[in-house]
Amino acid sequence: MATTKIVLKNIRKSFGGRTVVDIDNLTLGAHPIEGLIGPNGAGKTTLMSLITRKLSADQGQILYLPANGAKVDITHNSLDEVARMGLVRTNQIIQDFESLTIRDSLLLSLSTPHFDKFYRIFGTQKLAQSVNDEIDFYLDYFPFENPNGHALSAGEKKLLDIIRCLMLKPKFLLMDEPTAGLPYDLTQSVMALMQKKAVEDGLTILIVEHDLDLIWEVCDFVHFLAEGQLMTQGTPEEIRKNQMVAEKYMGVSHV
Amino acid sequence: MAYFIFVFSGIIIYIALANLLHLQFGLTGIVNFGVVGFWGLGMYGTTVLIVQYDLPFLVAVVLASLLTAVLSLILGWLVLDLDSQSIIVATLAFSTIIFYLVTTEKWLTKGVVGIGTVSFPFDVGRRTDLVYLAFLMIFTAVSMWYSWKLKQAPYGRLLLAIQDNEPLARGLGKATSREKLIFFTATSGMMGLMGALHAPVNQFLTPTLIGPGVTFTVWIALILGGKKHVLGGLIGVFVTVGLFDLLIETYVPLPTNFTILVPNIKLMLYGLMLILILMFRPLGILGDR
Repeated sequence: MATTKIVLKNIRKSFGGRTVVDIDNLTLGAHPIEGLIGPNGAGKTTLMSLITRKLSADQGQILYLPANGAKVDITHNSLDEVARMGLVRTNQIIQDFESLTIRDSLLLSLSTPHFDKFYRIFGTQKLAQSVNDEIDFYLDYFPFENPNGHALSAGEKKLLDIIRCLMLKPKFLLMDEPTAGLPYDLTQSVMALMQKKAVEDGLTILIVEHDLDLIWEVCDFVHFLAEGQLMTQGTPEEIRKNQMVAEKYMGVSHV
Repeated sequence: MAYFIFVFSGIIIYIALANLLHLQFGLTGIVNFGVVGFWGLGMYGTTVLIVQYDLPFLVAVVLASLLTAVLSLILGWLVLDLDSQSIIVATLAFSTIIFYLVTTEKWLTKGVVGIGTVSFPFDVGRRTDLVYLAFLMIFTAVSMWYSWKLKQAPYGRLLLAIQDNEPLARGLGKATSREKLIFFTATSGMMGLMGALHAPVNQFLTPTLIGPGVTFTVWIALILGGKKHVLGGLIGVFVTVGLFDLLIETYVPLPTNFTILVPNIKLMLYGLMLILILMFRPLGILGDR
């Protein structure tokens, strides 16, 4: 199955004179599930923010190539525009809507511009009914203490963030440390679901993660980033054996 | 009786304004500190169009409301994506500009001398003011019913999401800037419409009517009643304007030399109530459901 790709060309981003991202040419999404790893401060999160247009690059071009063969230059699109195109990101730091219950939060995600009109106050139950099964599937799949209430723990908020993104039926999903704050068995079920989505729905996934075991386990291809630059890329086996990766990650003395 | 109806009509308008502020601030988080500007523009606009240009009441009301909406659109486009402090200052400045324009542009508004009169759009004899009050009540009830329905609708969830975490909502593909602008324009235009409908109740307008006190009263009422509750504004207006203007000033026998102090004491008591509410019940009398 064809994947959705993102191509970065000559992308630079600096904060106050310090170059955080400096990438000449990088294609993401050539494989269904890819990993992006690198030591702290490598620019992984900034790179994701640049791709989803939360931040603007100082220079360069970002191309979005969905599986249908289209080719869109998203360098100057807005965050919400690229999200509507199917390019979505889960958050590293816990994000939630305090006043929305879990169900309302998911309904918000599922709602379309058609329903999001200030004069559309009738027949709104139709939306809720048509998506009930979908919501129930996720609320059954993941253990929420009170599925009809608010997300309570950090873990529940993290899961909710991931489900909200899946509700958008994205074509390309960026996951920024999806397992941080989740217990091991939940990490496993999140990843099992992701692998299923990649196979069944043709979803392309890019995972940023410090848990390298998880990267070796689920990723088909890995990009290694350090000091804002793409150092190397390859299959998990190749990256694992790479001397430079180990040095950059843990320091020369530890190797 | 005429006095009672006059005050009560004002209370109904206050309730409608508090309801609109509930939509702007309670749901969306837009801190509009220029309520009186939008309301006053609608009221003065209607009166000027009727008195100076001899337009029929309905045409004047529609034009004045549209003018308010257009200015809200421009103001909103300029400031809505800034932080809360900037929005407070900008909207407060807007209402101050309206106040000074009304005071200084004598050729249009007759300045401090005052402009009038606007009569009721219909005449059913002695009880015209009462029929008009009934109309205002129905109108306000419909707008509150709208708020209630909106909170269960997808758009209501979107507004709450914008208030809670706008970047997250944008990440979910919601065009939050555009929706804030549309909603601010619609609700501020409605404030203008409430002002326009208020014109015949006041009949004769002077700039003192559109001082910042109106904004503060609406804000205090909404916070007292509960900013997140549909009925918050209603309850809040009754315990502030209703309690003082309607009950105490009308029915409590106060000594004559004391009565001139009442408006000042009233504001002090509003302030005291506000402090107590914020200390013991930050979400207002009705809470957040």
